[in-house]
Amino acid sequence: MNQLIYNFAVWLDTHTWSTQLHESFYMYNWVESTHVLALMVSLGMLFLIDLRMLGLALPGIPATTIAHRLNRPMFIGFSVMILTGLLLFYAIPVRSSQSLWFRIKVVLLVAAAVNAWLFHRRMKHASSNAAGNWDRAIKAPRRLQMGAALSLCFWVLIVICGRLIAYDWFDCRSEPSAIIATLAGCVADQTQF
Amino acid sequence: MRMIKRLLLLSLPLVAIYSWQAWGHHAFSAEFDKEAPVTLEGTVTKIEWINPHAWIHLAVLDTQGEAIDWMVEGGTPNTLIRAGIHKNSIPIGSEIIVRGYQAKDKRCEPACKANGRDLTFADGRKVFMGSSGTGAPKDGSDPRDSR
Repeated sequence: MNQLIYNFAVWLDTHTWSTQLHESFYMYNWVESTHVLALMVSLGMLFLIDLRMLGLALPGIPATTIAHRLNRPMFIGFSVMILTGLLLFYAIPVRSSQSLWFRIKVVLLVAAAVNAWLFHRRMKHASSNAAGNWDRAIKAPRRLQMGAALSLCFWVLIVICGRLIAYDWFDCRSEPSAIIATLAGCVADQTQF
Repeated sequence: MRMIKRLLLLSLPLVAIYSWQAWGHHAFSAEFDKEAPVTLEGTVTKIEWINPHAWIHLAVLDTQGEAIDWMVEGGTPNTLIRAGIHKNSIPIGSEIIVRGYQAKDKRCEPACKANGRDLTFADGRKVFMGSSGTGAPKDGSDPRDSR
């Protein structure tokens, strides 16, 4: 599996656009800065929704109203995050794919996405049944609170992992321990990093 | 009670920002040792002119005459072009002197690693090749270091 990922990353590295982005004077800066600053939009909206579900923010406003109104800017923010994230990966495919922190981040992103999907399903279910008046309560139903709390945890960890990708503590180039090397996907006798 | 709860909640992001700043400002200290200044005089073997950091590889002769591989971190291609150097400014095989700080990981696998501050060419020209605002020591090499 690690060999497949490495081969794919090495192939991406041969692309001219990948190299141009990697060596650019301005584009890389724009992409990375946008990726970080778009957090304000995507996570800003998401945190407000999650905090409302937990009864910690804007208690006077119906919970589903906040969720519905902030949905679109949140998804615009996430789209920008995903696009810039993919470009950042495309610029430096081999090191990124072998970064322990990047791999943890991807796992957490998948977990966050699953959690979000389950949350939306439950929220729809909760709104359509007879007890649909949890909207005006300060806290959302227990399961939705769990989903919101998990969402907050996941995203904080995702951001931290994203920041740590920059550091070379576990880079394949520095021949880390066997466990780290396997988790990070270091390939024996690899020539590219 | 509500007021206290509000104040506590408000302080959370401030604490987060503060601790985040500390981390960001010590980006230098996360990887490099300010107590380990180095002056490397050697021959350029490889140039990686890439984002987020350019890397200059050079072979430095030790006291026994053995060539030790060093890799020195510089700024982004954008920062470097503003300092006056580009991808082709440092030919392979040229003699340069780099001053900087060695990495905290002193293992030299695959090469000894350092953070570069200034670079002196064979003809005496000196340029600042590092990054500003990373928390590196204020050693006078960064022309943007005013404080």
